[in-house]
Amino acid sequence: MSGTPLANEIRRWRFERGEMTQEALAQACGVTRQTIIALEAGKYAPSLELAFRIARAFGVGIDEVFRWKTE
Amino acid sequence: MMLRRWAWLALLVSAGLALWLLLAGPSRVLGFDPGKLGMFLLVATTWVSLYGVSQIPKGELEVMVSPGEWRAWVGSGFTLIAVVYFLSKISLFQHGPAWGNPEASAVARNLVMLLIAWTVLSSVVSARWKGVVQEDERDREIEKQASGWGRGALMVFIIGLAVMLGFSPAAKLEWASHFMIANLLVFALMWGWLCEYVATAVMYWRDRH
Repeated sequence: MSGTPLANEIRRWRFERGEMTQEALAQACGVTRQTIIALEAGKYAPSLELAFRIARAFGVGIDEVFRWKTE
Repeated sequence: MMLRRWAWLALLVSAGLALWLLLAGPSRVLGFDPGKLGMFLLVATTWVSLYGVSQIPKGELEVMVSPGEWRAWVGSGFTLIAVVYFLSKISLFQHGPAWGNPEASAVARNLVMLLIAWTVLSSVVSARWKGVVQEDERDREIEKQASGWGRGALMVFIIGLAVMLGFSPAAKLEWASHFMIANLLVFALMWGWLCEYVATAVMYWRDRH
């Protein structure tokens, strides 16, 4: 569970969506707040379904939230 | 605040005394088994602690630690107590089956009491997260990896036991009555659970650091 090749913009999108809290995002996606914390810290790579749920919560495409670290 | 600190200290002393009575105390005092008193004290301390835990306002630690991690730490604590208790009393299982061995029956009864206390504590801890998601795909992934550790530990123990029973000379296996082997197999299960809970707790902890 330590380290993932995926980078994400979850934190940035939360702030762009009116400083959405981690708790609110967790509730919108049906996960625990600790999973959002692990995602933001880059310690957990989400399933495809969860990645779509997160992107949908922000109202953007999945590629605007997640990308390979090498890009 | 000062009173609360003293109350927690008293609970800690009470739990320590209970564990001593249960694990290391004299086997008989005035014809009475102090182990029963130890178990009663441990259950009573758990109940009072539960009340105390339910009164604590949501702190930062509770926000950082997921329900799955809390369950894993509580499970690790209780299985560790059960394993240590079982090991400290294992010599009692040499003397015949449960129906003719009241001391071994008392150990089994105490373990059931511990299981009940654990179930109650787990449900109280879970109640603190009522209305929010308690488990998601990350928890399931951690549980899957931890169950591999538990299965591995169980296999190592069973193989070790089989090799010992299969290759030791009969003179060195006088202790291995059928009742003792039955109890060692139960212990193998408890050992597997302990390793699984500890692995789960460590994986959660590692994710947070």
